[in-house]
Amino acid sequence: MRRFILIGAAAALVLVAAPLAAQPVVQLPEGEGRDVVATACSQCHALTAITQLRQGEQAWRYQVYDMVLRGAQIAPSEIDGTVKYLAASFGPGVPFPGPPAAPVTLPDGAGKELVEGGCALCHGLDRVVAAKRSKGEWNGIVKRMVFFGAPLAPDQATTIAAYLDSKFGAD
Amino acid sequence: MKELIRQYIDQGISRRKLMTGLSAVGLSTVAAKSIAQSLAPVAGVVPTSPPAGAMREMKGTGGALFVQQLKAAGVEYIFFNPSTGDAPIYDALVDEPAIHLVKGVQEGAVVAMADGYARASGKTAVVVVPNIGLPNAMTQMVNTFKDRIPLLVVVAAFGQDQLGRDGPQDYEHQEVMVQPITKWYWQANSAAGIPETTRRALKFAATAPAGPVFLAIPDNLLRMEATATIMDQALFDVPMRLRPDAKDVEAVARLLIEAKNPMMSIGDEVTLAHGEAEALELAELLGLPVAGQAEFGTWSKPFPTRSPLYLGTVLATMRFPGQIDVHLNLGNQYGEKAAPGKKLISIRRDPTSLARVTPVDMGIVADPKLAAADLVAAVKSIATKERLKQIADDRGGRVRTYTKGMWDLRGKIAQDLSDGAPIRMERLGVELEKGLEKDTLYVADVDSGKTLEPFMGFGGADKTYIGTGPNVLGWGMAGGFGAKLAHPDKPVVAVVGDGSFLFSGPAPLWSIARYKAPITVMVLNNQSYNNERNRIWTFGGGAQFKTGRDMTCYNGSPDVDFTKTAAAYGVEGETVKEPGQIQAALARAKAANVDGRPYFLEFHIQRDGVGAASEWHPPLSIASLRTRKV
Repeated sequence: MRRFILIGAAAALVLVAAPLAAQPVVQLPEGEGRDVVATACSQCHALTAITQLRQGEQAWRYQVYDMVLRGAQIAPSEIDGTVKYLAASFGPGVPFPGPPAAPVTLPDGAGKELVEGGCALCHGLDRVVAAKRSKGEWNGIVKRMVFFGAPLAPDQATTIAAYLDSKFGAD
Repeated sequence: MKELIRQYIDQGISRRKLMTGLSAVGLSTVAAKSIAQSLAPVAGVVPTSPPAGAMREMKGTGGALFVQQLKAAGVEYIFFNPSTGDAPIYDALVDEPAIHLVKGVQEGAVVAMADGYARASGKTAVVVVPNIGLPNAMTQMVNTFKDRIPLLVVVAAFGQDQLGRDGPQDYEHQEVMVQPITKWYWQANSAAGIPETTRRALKFAATAPAGPVFLAIPDNLLRMEATATIMDQALFDVPMRLRPDAKDVEAVARLLIEAKNPMMSIGDEVTLAHGEAEALELAELLGLPVAGQAEFGTWSKPFPTRSPLYLGTVLATMRFPGQIDVHLNLGNQYGEKAAPGKKLISIRRDPTSLARVTPVDMGIVADPKLAAADLVAAVKSIATKERLKQIADDRGGRVRTYTKGMWDLRGKIAQDLSDGAPIRMERLGVELEKGLEKDTLYVADVDSGKTLEPFMGFGGADKTYIGTGPNVLGWGMAGGFGAKLAHPDKPVVAVVGDGSFLFSGPAPLWSIARYKAPITVMVLNNQSYNNERNRIWTFGGGAQFKTGRDMTCYNGSPDVDFTKTAAAYGVEGETVKEPGQIQAALARAKAANVDGRPYFLEFHIQRDGVGAASEWHPPLSIASLRTRKV
C-alpha cells in the first residue's frame, strides 16, 4: 500500500498566496525527493501547482532551476533527486488529478492516433479541441510538448502539427 | 497703533508691516523696532531662534510663494505636466534659476520620474500635475507609498468660488481620493498660508517613515497676491535617526553572540537609512547568514548579493541554515518570520509595520544604520577579538560552503540554459553581468525578469539595484530617468518588460529625449505577462489551465516593434534576437551613453513556463462586427 505525506501547503509569498486555511491539502507520493518538494516548494505556493502538471525529466529540471532562481532553497546535491522524483511522480502517463476529462472524438486524419496516444498522456483531449490556432502556433505548441516529455519522434511531431493545423487551424 | 499691534499679534500683518505702520504714526525706527521685538514672543511668529537669513518675508502671488518656499527647502526640480490653473507657479519660475522644470507628458510618468529621483537621491521630490490628471498620477503613487519614498504631489484645484458647481472638470474633494496612498493630504485655504502648508507637507513627506503627501491649491489662491514668511525648511526637519536603547542593544548583542544558529534578514529600511556598511560589518563580525531582498515586496538590495554570507530570499522556513534560534530582522518589512523555538528580534524604522502581522519577541523602533553600528560596538565590547573570530569562522564557514554551492549551481543553470533564440532570461543575466559597469544604477521594472537577477551582483561595491516593492508596472523607464537625474555621473540602465512598456506607453521616452538623458533602456520583450500567466495557470489550475486558453496574458498580436517606437522619439536603438549579439549591442549602448545620448535595446526573450507556447487569445474583431464597410 502506498504511503502518502499530507501537506497543508503554507504559501509564503504574501502578494500571491491565498490564506493558509484556503490552501488545499495535497498528497505527495512517497519517494526520494518528496521531503525536498514538501518543504522547499511549499514555502511559496500550494503544491497543486506541481501535482496538476505532467512533465518529463528535462522540463521538471528547468522548472526546478526556475524555482531556485526565484529563491527556493534546494541544494545542488538535491537537484537530481528532486527532478527524478517529480518526473516519476508527475510525468507523462501518470494519471492527472480531478475528474476525467470530457470524452472527445477527434476527426479522422493522419496523426489522429498520435494525438490520442501522445497528447492524452498529460492532459485531456478537450484541451486540444478547445481553440483554433495558427499553423505557427501549433508548431510551437507541439515543439513545446515534446520538450515537456511527449514521447514523439521528430516525424511524429511533424505529423501531429500538420494534423492539428488541418483540423483545428485558425482561419 | 493699538489696531496695528492687534493685527500683528493675530498674525494678520507681518513684522515689516508693523514696523512701517509704527513709523507712519510717528515712532522712531528704534522705538518701532523695540516694540516689534517686545511683541515677537507674544505673537509667536518666531517660536525658536532661527539662524540669520533662515526666514524672510515676501509678497507675491500664491504661485510665487509656493516656489520660494520650495527653494527654501532646497528643491532643485519640479516634475510636472501643466494645466491652466497652475500657471502662476510656472510664471514664478521664469526668472528663478534655482529650480528647474522637468516635464513629463503623462502624469504617471511624471510621478515615476520623481519617484526614481527620490529613491536614487534620498531627497524629497516635488510633482505638480493637473487636477484632472490626478488619477493617472495615483497609479504610480502606489509604488511611492508602499515603499515609503518622500514625495510631494501638488495640483491646482478649481477656484474656491467654482468648486461644487459641477463644472466640466470639477470633481469634489479630490484630496480625499488620495487618502489610502498618502501620509497626509490637504487643501490650502489662503494664499498667505501657502508657504506654511507647503512646509508642513514637505515635513510630512520627508519624516521617516517617509511617503507621498498631497496638496491641492485652488487656482484663485495661486493667482492671489499675499504677503507671507518664507522659512528655511531645515527649521522643520524632524530627525528620526533614533538610537536604540542601550540595554536593548546589549541584550540583542548577547543573543547574537550566544546563539547556536542565528540569521539576519535585511530590507529596504537599511537602504533608506544608508546603513549598508554597518549591516555588512555586523554580519561579517558574527558570521551571520543574511537573507532578504526578495522577489516580491522589496525594492533595493542593501546587502552585497555576492557576499558569501548572502543566502537569498527570506522564507518562513529556511532549509539553510536550518532551525534558527535567533533571527534578527533589520529593516525588512517582510522579514518578520516567527517559528517555534526561534527568538525573533525586529529593528524597524516604521512602527506601524513592526509586528503588524507576526508576533515579535523583541521589537525595537530605531534607525537601522545606528542600530547596526551600536550592535557592532556592543558585540565588540562583550566578546574578545579571539572569540569573535572563532564565532565568525565557525558560522561563516558553513554559510560560505552553502553559498558557494548555490553560485556553482547558478553557473550550471546558466550553462544548461544559455543558448537558443529567443534569448533566455538566464543568458541575458549572465551577459548583463559581463557587460555592465560595476557602478551602474540598475533600475528594474520587469516581473518575469527576476530570474536574471541571481546571475548578477548588486550591493556593496557592485551595481545598485532600484526597483519597486509593489511592482506596479509602468514605472521603470521614467524611474531610470529620475535616477540619472539624481546621479548624472553614473551609468544607468532601465530594464523593463514589454508589459511595463505598454503600461507606461512611450511617454517616458519623450522626457528621456527632451532632456538628453544618456541612459540605456532595455525592453525584455516576451510578448506576455509571462509571470502572471504562470501564476494564474499553476496556482489556480482553473479553466484557462485546463483548456489551454490564455484569456488574459498574451501581449503579441499586434507584435509591437518597440525599437521603432523609440525611433519615433529620436532615441537610437536596436533589436537583439540572438544571444551572440548581446555584448556588441551593450557596447554600442555604452558608446552612445558616453557620448551623451540615450540608447534603446529591445531583447526578444523566450516565454517560459506553463502555457508559454500559446499565442491564442479571445477572438474579437470590430471590423467583423460591422454591417457596412465604413
